[in-house]
Amino acid sequence: MKILVALKRVADPDNANKVKIPGSGDRVDTTGLEWKPNPFDEYALEAALRLTENGQQPKTRAGEVVVVTFGPKETETTLRAALATGADKAIRVDATDDQLDGDLVARALKTLVEREKPDLVVMGKQAVDGDSNQVGQILAELLDWPQATFAATIEEEAAGSVLVGREVDGGVAKLRVKLPAVVTVDLRIVAGASVYSTKTARTFKYNEGVRFAALPAIMAAKKKPLTEVKLAELAADTKLKVTYAKFQAPPARKAGIKVKDVAELVDKLQKEAKVL
Amino acid sequence: MIEWSDTHRSIRDMVRRFVEAEIKPKVTELEHGDLPPYDILRKMFATFGMRDMGEIRAAKAQARAEKRAAARARGEDLQQEERTESGDQVAMQMLPIIELSRFCPGMVTALGVSVGLTANTIMSRGTPRQIERWAKDLLTLDKIGAWAITEPGSGSDAFGSMKATARRAEGGYRLNGNKTFITNGPYADTIVFICKLDEDNDPKDRKVLSFVLERGEKGLVQSKPLKKMGMHSSPTGELFLEDVFVPNDRLLGETEEISYRSGAKDTFTAERTGVVAMALGIIEQCLQLSVEYAKTRVQFGRPIGDFQLIQLKLAKMEVARMNVQNLVFRIIELSTEGKRMPLAEASGCKLYCAQSAMEVALEAVQLFGGNGYMAEFQVEQLARDAKVLQIYGGTDEIQISQIARSLLAG
Ligand SMILES: Cc1cc2nc3c(=O)[nH]c(=O)nc-3n(C[C@H](O)[C@H](O)[C@H](O)COP(=O)(O)OP(=O)(O)OC[C@H]3O[C@@H](n4cnc5c(N)ncnc54)[C@H](O)[C@@H]3O)c2cc1C
Repeated sequence: MKILVALKRVADPDNANKVKIPGSGDRVDTTGLEWKPNPFDEYALEAALRLTENGQQPKTRAGEVVVVTFGPKETETTLRAALATGADKAIRVDATDDQLDGDLVARALKTLVEREKPDLVVMGKQAVDGDSNQVGQILAELLDWPQATFAATIEEEAAGSVLVGREVDGGVAKLRVKLPAVVTVDLRIVAGASVYSTKTARTFKYNEGVRFAALPAIMAAKKKPLTEVKLAELAADTKLKVTYAKFQAPPARKAGIKVKDVAELVDKLQKEAKVL
Repeated sequence: MIEWSDTHRSIRDMVRRFVEAEIKPKVTELEHGDLPPYDILRKMFATFGMRDMGEIRAAKAQARAEKRAAARARGEDLQQEERTESGDQVAMQMLPIIELSRFCPGMVTALGVSVGLTANTIMSRGTPRQIERWAKDLLTLDKIGAWAITEPGSGSDAFGSMKATARRAEGGYRLNGNKTFITNGPYADTIVFICKLDEDNDPKDRKVLSFVLERGEKGLVQSKPLKKMGMHSSPTGELFLEDVFVPNDRLLGETEEISYRSGAKDTFTAERTGVVAMALGIIEQCLQLSVEYAKTRVQFGRPIGDFQLIQLKLAKMEVARMNVQNLVFRIIELSTEGKRMPLAEASGCKLYCAQSAMEVALEAVQLFGGNGYMAEFQVEQLARDAKVLQIYGGTDEIQISQIARSLLAG
C-alpha cells in the first residue's frame, strides 16, 4: 500500500498560553515558541507506518509512505524527522503560512495525489494552531474519494478496503471505506491495538504513542529523497478564500470559588449555575 | 563544525523526547531511591538502535583483534590500528550524553563505565575469543561492566601505589586485593580488574596486568552501593578479592607481555572527552532553568533578572556554555578529520569543563536562592553531581600537572 501523509509544523502547542495578540489585532504572535510537528500529523504518520509494515519487523517497509509539508525551507526538519522514523520520501511545497488556507492546501494536495497516486491519504484530524479541521474533508471532496474522519482505529483488509473505527457517543462506529480514500486520525489511533496492516498479527500490541527513530536511521535520513515543489505548480489559482479580519484574545477567565462541602456545591449548582 | 547540523538536532530532539517520557518522571526514584539505572538505559538502547550499533562495534573489534593475532603469529608486531570514528559517530555518542546529563549525569557515568571504559579495555587488549565472550554483551548492555583500578591506598598514583596482586598458579592466577569507588561495582556482571604481577620482586618493578572477573566468582565480594554526595543514579561500590583463582584465559590478551600501562592513554582520552559532553548537559540545563527563574521570580517589585548581579551570573553561565560547546564541536571535528586529541589537550578540556560545570551549577543554586537549596528545583542535584567531574577520570590537580608536564617537556 502506498500512503501519502500530510504534515504541518505548528508553534509549540504545550506553550500555547504564551502566544500574544498585538494591539493591532492583525496576527497571532508566536515569537519565542519552538516549532513542533502538529501532534495529530505525527499520529497520522505513525498510523501510516503501522499500515505499511509487519508490526513485529518495523525495520522493513511493506509499502511506501510519502510525507508532504507546506512551508519554508526550515520545515524540512519536520520532513527529515519523518524520514528518520520510516517514511520513504518527502515533498516540501514551498509556501509560508500566510499564503495558505485550508482550501488552497487541499487543492494543492489534490494535484500531488494525482501525481503520486497513493492508495490512501492519512492526515491528522486538524492542526492544533488554527484548529480548522477542513483539509482532509475538502481533499476527499475534490478527489471524489470516500473519507473517514477522526479515526480511532484502522484495519487494512485484503479486499482493497480499510475498516475505520470512529469513537461516537455511546460506542464505536465502524466504516468500511474502499481505497483509494482519505482518512483523518484522532489521538486514539496511536494506542497499542489501533492499527493493523494485513501483515501484522492481531495479537501484536504496539507501544503506545508514536515511535522513536533509531539514531542510525536519523543519519540515514539525510540520504532519503526530499524534493521541493512550488505552490503555483500545484494550484493554478493561489488566491485565498479565507482571510482573517482581526484577532482578539479570549476574555481572561474569572477566578473560581472554593466550596466548603458537597451541600454547598449542590446548592450553588442549583441556585447560581442552575444546572441541576 | 561551527554548529549542530539539522541531523544532530533531530537526534537531540528524539533523545530529549525519550528523556522527558522515560527519565524525568523517574528522576526522584533514580536520585533518591534505590532504582538502579540499567533497565532504563537498556530501554534507551533498544529504542534508538544503540543495541544493534553495539553488536556491530563488537564484531568490528573482533575482526581487528583477529588481524592483530594473525600478525603476531607471523612474528610481526602490527601496530594498534588507528581506530578513529567519524565525526557523526562521535556526535551520535555525545548527543545522548548531553541530553541525559541535563537530568541524570549519574546514568551517563554508569553507562560510560560499562560500554566505554570496561568494553573498550577488553576490545583493545583482549584476544578475539575474549572480545566475543565479554565485549559484545557489554556493548549491547545485556551485561553491566565495571573497571577497577582505584584502591583505598591508591588513587591519583594508580600504578605506583597499587597493592592488588596476581600470582601465578597451576593453570592460571590467584588474585588478591581491594578496590574502591568502583562504578557499577555492586551490580557488575563483568569486571576488569587491574593489578600487579607479584613475582616476589620489588613492587616498583612489577608488571601491571588486567583480568576479567565474572559476578559470583569464588572469593569475590561486591559491596552494596556506597553513600555519596551526588551521582546517586550511578551505583558505586567496593570489591574484595581473596585468593580468587582465574584460569589463563581471564588474563586480557592472554600474555604477560602487554603491560597495562601501554595504551592506557587512549582510555584516559576517551574518558576525558566524555566528561566534556556531560559538562555541557549540566551547564545547558542550569542555564535554561536560571534564565526562566530570573524572568519569573519577582523581588523588590521586579523580576530578579533586572538586577545586574543576577545578569552577571547569567552572562557567565552563557559564556561557559559557549566555550564548552565549542570544545564539543572541536572533539567532533577532530574525528571528522581523522585526528585524535592529544592527551594533554584532553586533560585541558576535562579540567576546564569540569570546573565550568561546577561553577555554573553553584551559581545556579545561588540564583535560585532558598529554592536552589531545595531538591525540587533540580539545580542542587546538578551541583552535587558536577563536583565529581573534578575528581574522577583524574582530579583537576592531576590534569593540571599533565598539561604542565607536556608544556615543560623537551
Ligand atoms: C563517583 C566516583 C566514581 C568512580 N569510579 C571509578 C571506577 O569506576 N573505577 C576506578 O578505578 N576508580 C573510580 N573512581 C576513583 C577515582 O578515579 C579516584 O577517586 C580519583 O582518581 C582520585 O583518587 P583518590 O580518590 O585516591 O584521591 P587522591 O589521589 O588521594 O587525591 C587526594 C587529593 O590530592 C591531590 N593530589 C594527588 N596527587 C597529587 C599530585 N601529584 N599533585 C597535586 N595534587 C595531588 C588530588 O588531586 C586530590 O585533591 C571513582 C571515584 C568517584 C568519586
